Amino acid sequence: MRKPKKNTGWSLARQEEMLGYTLILPFVVGFLVFQLAPFASSLVISLTDLSFISNLEAANFIGLDNFIHMFSDDKFIGALWRTFYYVALFVPGVITVGLLCAMLINARLLMRNTIRTAIFMPYVSNFVAIAVVWAILFDVRDGPINSLLRALGVSNPPLWLIGEHTVIPSIVLIVVWQNIGFFMLVFLAALQNVPSELYEAATMDGAGRMRKFWRITVPLVSPTTFLLTITAVITAFQNFGPIQVLTKGGPGQASTTLSINIYQETFLQYRMGYSTAQAIVMFAIILCITIIQWRGQKKFVNYS
Amino acid sequence: MIKSTKSSGVIILNIVSILFAVANVFPFIFMLSSSFKVLGKIFEYPFRLIPDPFIWTNYINIFDDKYDLLLWYKNSFVMVILTLAFKCCIVCITAYAFAKLRFRGRDFLFILFLSALMLPGDATIVQRYMIYKTLHLTDSVWALVLPAAFDIYFVFLLRQFFISIPHALTEAAIIDGCGHLKVFYRIVLPLAKPAIVTMILFSFVWAWNDFTNPYIFITDTKKQMLTVGMAMFQASRFQDYGLQMAASALALVPVIVLFISAQKYFVQGIATSGIKG
Repeated sequence: MRKPKKNTGWSLARQEEMLGYTLILPFVVGFLVFQLAPFASSLVISLTDLSFISNLEAANFIGLDNFIHMFSDDKFIGALWRTFYYVALFVPGVITVGLLCAMLINARLLMRNTIRTAIFMPYVSNFVAIAVVWAILFDVRDGPINSLLRALGVSNPPLWLIGEHTVIPSIVLIVVWQNIGFFMLVFLAALQNVPSELYEAATMDGAGRMRKFWRITVPLVSPTTFLLTITAVITAFQNFGPIQVLTKGGPGQASTTLSINIYQETFLQYRMGYSTAQAIVMFAIILCITIIQWRGQKKFVNYS
Repeated sequence: MIKSTKSSGVIILNIVSILFAVANVFPFIFMLSSSFKVLGKIFEYPFRLIPDPFIWTNYINIFDDKYDLLLWYKNSFVMVILTLAFKCCIVCITAYAFAKLRFRGRDFLFILFLSALMLPGDATIVQRYMIYKTLHLTDSVWALVLPAAFDIYFVFLLRQFFISIPHALTEAAIIDGCGHLKVFYRIVLPLAKPAIVTMILFSFVWAWNDFTNPYIFITDTKKQMLTVGMAMFQASRFQDYGLQMAASALALVPVIVLFISAQKYFVQGIATSGIKG
């Protein structure tokens, strides 16, 4: 806490206050235009039948019709389930692999700095540049991965990005690969704060590796795991970029998630009021998940 | 006996971690190697690291006038530099006000701004498009620069950093007759250099790699950024993998060089603050 300022007079405090308002003014304007205005207008537009190609005046107020229609719209319901599937694969995947990599780096092995660099490199890389390489690696007929699988005796290797059932796991695999480095570094910082005496004491008591992992490592990094899980959920819902680059929602609708569906409804179907209502549902889902996580953390997170 | 199993375990762990690291960078190795190969050799199995024959034509061809790659490269650089300039100014002064100045409504405003972090960008794409169109920002670099400049996340991080600068230090300077602006320039900014460098590095990478915003807000091919441009390039040259690999490798050069040369700041920045994904 800052100490109360010495008695330097009313005008100085007033000056400080005016300077404060002046300095934050640009940000306030930017916040209103680029954050609040899009959000507030989406609340209004979701209650209309506004079309992307017509004027605002041509839109009619239709109440909650968009929200009601959504739940009998197979395209929306399908996109919703695919989004949950994507999130359910991405979040545990990136958290588990991130923690394992952090433990690997923390084990003080040979060339740990080089290995850390290698794991982190995809995180700073341009996704479009990465995507074209993965498209070739995953090429069904001639790609190196399927050639390897065939050489190992797999007669029907997966269809990867062009298979109806494999497309979402394949996309998640690529996006997890890109994000491991970030999750690894945050976990690494948490692991380095675990006092080594705890492990020594556990070893003296005859605890094995698995026991030490579940009884010491997991509880002590749990505050970090909690924050990273929230980050991972929000990252997972924001999947427009990677999916649009890799598959544009295909094959068919197989990788059309909520964000892809919102884009298509707006820019291809021109149903703007409807797509905005879907965006609000997506926002509400993220908000609910975050609130549930905050509520649930008391049970699982160890702050002692 | 116990010792020997332990050391063999360490050796296995070493091998596993090195193999994992190699597998992790394999897409980059594949990209670089393929960019020097003739088309027929890219899908050769098993994979050959050293291209035979080794050709430079892919790199020469992407600079051909019939592609806009160089133009997109330049557009992206201009956009990134403008973003960094605006973001640094706005974020620093805002963070200073929230950290070191007292004014009514300060904490409420700060929490209000922070709550915007909850808004996923993908959920407001359509409305942002509408608003930028009304403001005549679409199809211009400002549609990317201005929204990125008002970055509450870095306001939050820099505010934390500014608060950690001892109050006695800034207070003493004020009592000695320094104005707040002088305190800001002479004391706070130099001390916050590591945090500002971290902000610049991450902002560079995010702006350079951004796909969604230019994809939605810029339709004019000549004004497009490198990421979206490359996606168009890939769609139009979808058979010419060598050419695509060369273009991808060139797009990665700025961020990889930046990362390798400033790795310390990236690692510390994430480790100390848990910068968002």
